[in-house]
Amino acid sequence: MRKTGFLHDDRYLLHRTASYHPECSDRLKAIYKGIEDGELLPKLTLIKAKRADQRWVEAVHHVKYIMRFEEACLYGLTEFESADNQMCRESFEVALLAVGGILDTLRMMMEGQIDNAFCSVRPPGHHAEVEKAMGFCYFNNVAIAARYLQSEYGIKRVGIVDFDVHHGNGTQHIFEADPSVFYYSIHEHPSFAFPGTGREFEKGIGEGEGFTMNSPVLPGQSDKEYHKLLERDLFPAFDVFRPEIILTSTGFDAHEDDDMSGINLTTKGYSWIMERVVEMADKYSDGRLISLLEGGYCLQRLPELAKNHVEILMGK
Amino acid sequence: MFVTNSMQKNVITIGKEASVFEARDKMAANSIRHLPVIDSENNLLGVVTDRDVRSAMPSVFADVCNLEEEKKKVAELKVKDIMTTNVTTVSPMHTLQDAIMLIHRTRVGAFPVVDEDGKLKGIISVRDLLRAFVNVLGIEEPGMLLCILVENKQGQMKRIVDAITEEKISFGSILVARYWDEGKRAVFPYLLTNNVAHIKRKLKSMGFELLNPMEWYLDQLPKHD
Repeated sequence: MRKTGFLHDDRYLLHRTASYHPECSDRLKAIYKGIEDGELLPKLTLIKAKRADQRWVEAVHHVKYIMRFEEACLYGLTEFESADNQMCRESFEVALLAVGGILDTLRMMMEGQIDNAFCSVRPPGHHAEVEKAMGFCYFNNVAIAARYLQSEYGIKRVGIVDFDVHHGNGTQHIFEADPSVFYYSIHEHPSFAFPGTGREFEKGIGEGEGFTMNSPVLPGQSDKEYHKLLERDLFPAFDVFRPEIILTSTGFDAHEDDDMSGINLTTKGYSWIMERVVEMADKYSDGRLISLLEGGYCLQRLPELAKNHVEILMGK
Repeated sequence: MFVTNSMQKNVITIGKEASVFEARDKMAANSIRHLPVIDSENNLLGVVTDRDVRSAMPSVFADVCNLEEEKKKVAELKVKDIMTTNVTTVSPMHTLQDAIMLIHRTRVGAFPVVDEDGKLKGIISVRDLLRAFVNVLGIEEPGMLLCILVENKQGQMKRIVDAITEEKISFGSILVARYWDEGKRAVFPYLLTNNVAHIKRKLKSMGFELLNPMEWYLDQLPKHD
């Protein structure tokens, strides 16, 4: 059994959104409950949030954007740049705590204290652009994580697997010209779903050409299509790229019971994806794998999805 | 939505006395297929296309003995000898819809844009219209597509627009299409939001039928027997 870390902190609940908003703190409670009820907590290395040094956020985001976000929170504004991005006074601090918790989890993995981990954080990150908050996201957690690994630990090849049902436009744009980070995303087809990017022909630019890969899935599709596309696209690509570390943008919103998308993955389908990702980590990156929470909004399904997810990381 | 806003204003042109080779090289260098031919006063005389140029070149089937002679003939050919003079033009104040319909009917890929005095003002091609289409549909803006079935009676669109606007959600575009049930229409709002679940629930509670947009698309595909 692997040593698996679990980043969870009640302070992540302090980022409040409007009452009807799907990206709510109950999501993290549901995830925690699933892991607790599955009696996994005693077997996990529990990790608490830590405030990130802002210089790591600046490794990805423009300093003026960071200040704009902080000021909006200080003013007590309840939305930032779009009605999608609901927030409160604490949101800036919580976003820094999310980044800091993730970087501390990475440090623990690099120092050998854990093999892999699941970071149950809010707010999510993969839609956040260098200078723009989008789709409930403020700081691009996974992008900051990749930059941290590169500059602190000299990691040369980071592989990102994004299986949130929405395309991670922010992550793609941050790394599209960078051959040291391979960004793979499987998501609902952009002609139907937010954010309208992630078409099959988007493959990176300049030196980064060939290091971005997108597998759009038409609405109504299920496990079979995911199997087919991952086998056709992701597995051969990572076999060539050989990531030294794998980061996942984990979104549970492609589940059939999640009304945020038209994709119908089953609970079993989700397990299959994660099992393959863990296999790839074992094969290419010495098992080093950090899963970062993005979307997933069905409060009834999140407990079982999170429990299975963590069990697969543990190799139970 | 006028041609003048979407056309290329810096037009690459050629004179009527230029050689066919010059025309060919100019089009290749600029990756274009249409060259308006003008005089020194910027009056439009005709258009020369890459197809005109290709037709003027010696055929690969030409008799080898005659090849040199053929080449010589082509070298002497001028733009004025091969250009189309009966050119369909549009005015800067034509609408984009006019241009789309013209292209659709004439199967011509680009039109010179000419003012009332016959002076060349620009050129509008399929490519420019596609760009305008991308813009109008909001394809490049972050959003998601809904498909709402509505009865074909007045006031339905207002209810939809009001319901969505109340949630402070902006529209990228709205398309209305036919549906297999007569008396119904499929309305496709492209909404600039990621918060889809809430608005879907709201529309359903108002009595609208929401369809997976794919179901509508699949209906458009040819059926297998």
